[in-house]
Amino acid sequence: MKKIVIASLLALTPLAARAEYQQVNLTVFGMDCAPCAHAIHVSMKGIQGVDKVDVDLNTGLVTIRLSQDNTASMRQFNEDVEKNGFTHKDADLVVRGKLTGTAAAPILEVSGTQDRYALSPSVTSIDLASLLGKTVTVTGVLPQSPKGKVSDTLRYKTVAVVR
Amino acid sequence: MKSSLLLACVFAVPGIVLASDHGPVFSYATPVNSQRELSFDTGLFGRGGSHGTQLSSGSSFGYGLTPHLTVNAFLPASFGSGALPESRMISGSEWSAGASWRFLHSVTTVGKRIESTASLGVVVPGPQADSGVLAGLHRAPGVAGSIATGLASRSQYLWAGVGYTRFAEATNDRRPGTLSWSGVYGYRPAKLRRGYDQWDYRGFAELTGEHTGDVQKQAALVPNSSTTTLWLGPSILAIHKNIAISGGVQAPVFRDASDALYGREHLRFAINFSYLKYSAHTNSH
Repeated sequence: MKKIVIASLLALTPLAARAEYQQVNLTVFGMDCAPCAHAIHVSMKGIQGVDKVDVDLNTGLVTIRLSQDNTASMRQFNEDVEKNGFTHKDADLVVRGKLTGTAAAPILEVSGTQDRYALSPSVTSIDLASLLGKTVTVTGVLPQSPKGKVSDTLRYKTVAVVR
Repeated sequence: MKSSLLLACVFAVPGIVLASDHGPVFSYATPVNSQRELSFDTGLFGRGGSHGTQLSSGSSFGYGLTPHLTVNAFLPASFGSGALPESRMISGSEWSAGASWRFLHSVTTVGKRIESTASLGVVVPGPQADSGVLAGLHRAPGVAGSIATGLASRSQYLWAGVGYTRFAEATNDRRPGTLSWSGVYGYRPAKLRRGYDQWDYRGFAELTGEHTGDVQKQAALVPNSSTTTLWLGPSILAIHKNIAISGGVQAPVFRDASDALYGREHLRFAINFSYLKYSAHTNSH
């Protein structure tokens, strides 16, 4: 019995851990100098699960790569930008999540966080009906949100089933 | 002199209204600390004139309470006995504490922001005696306020600021009120707009001016003790991640001050070292 429980837990754990942010490319406005970038780097590295942070001052692009099984949420990234006195703009995401909702109104749930996004096509619409209930990897753009908020719509570019 | 310099480097500079860690070394500027950012500044200011040389130094601590509100304190030390006019652009022997509030913060594009910051603080005489016409004055605390506004970008910086300091009266003596103003232009050449893990350099042209009122001694105003001066000079700021070093010199471009009381002040210089400690807090969600 004990073995069955342990085996079940081991089997379930990877499934639960599959939903997560893998990469966040966040455009930040207002950084003019090295300490600005360093502050963002230090703040982002302080978020649990953040593996690597690159900051390009000339483009304002903050590239955040995350380790597996992280539970980082989009709100944390935005908050860290705001606490350093800057403004976050659009974010390019690579995120895994469970596809729920309906074919007409698909929802991406990033488990381990409270993040849920309504999916809308960035350019070309994809038929997502067959993917409902499955864990998928989505690439897309999260539009700029007001301070203290996270956009509830993710404009997807690609959606792929996680095997 | 050697020991004075050594001691000066241990303590050091900037007053509550000056943002040496992110900006010019003499002038008013707008940057404030990030939330939970701790900054430490230390440096050396010098003033040289025909009536002597004065070195002042001190340590400044700042802490970001919010992304736009920083509290700070300045602990000074001064050396030398130059008979020089009161100055708020160059730190003297006063202790000060206050807060800086960035009340306007407009982010327009990548790497650029327009902002305005107001500072208010109390100024308290330190244990060291003043020299020149200020020597022997009974000293009382004062209030210092300033406002700065400007633009920061990857290539150019432009700030203008104005400040006023007024001291209370003590036993019929009063240090002069001082109106200070500054304008600064900064430039970072294209070749130096590099990654944040490399040294970041920028140069400034700093124009500062001060008008000091009459010194009040034993309930009477000291004749010809009011001064107006205008200073201009270059400064350089070098930053690597969380460490900044800046330095600059200024020469007078206009001077209306009594030679008999103050001599002819002909040089100001500053060297400043900053350490910035950023917060790596882990948020829960």
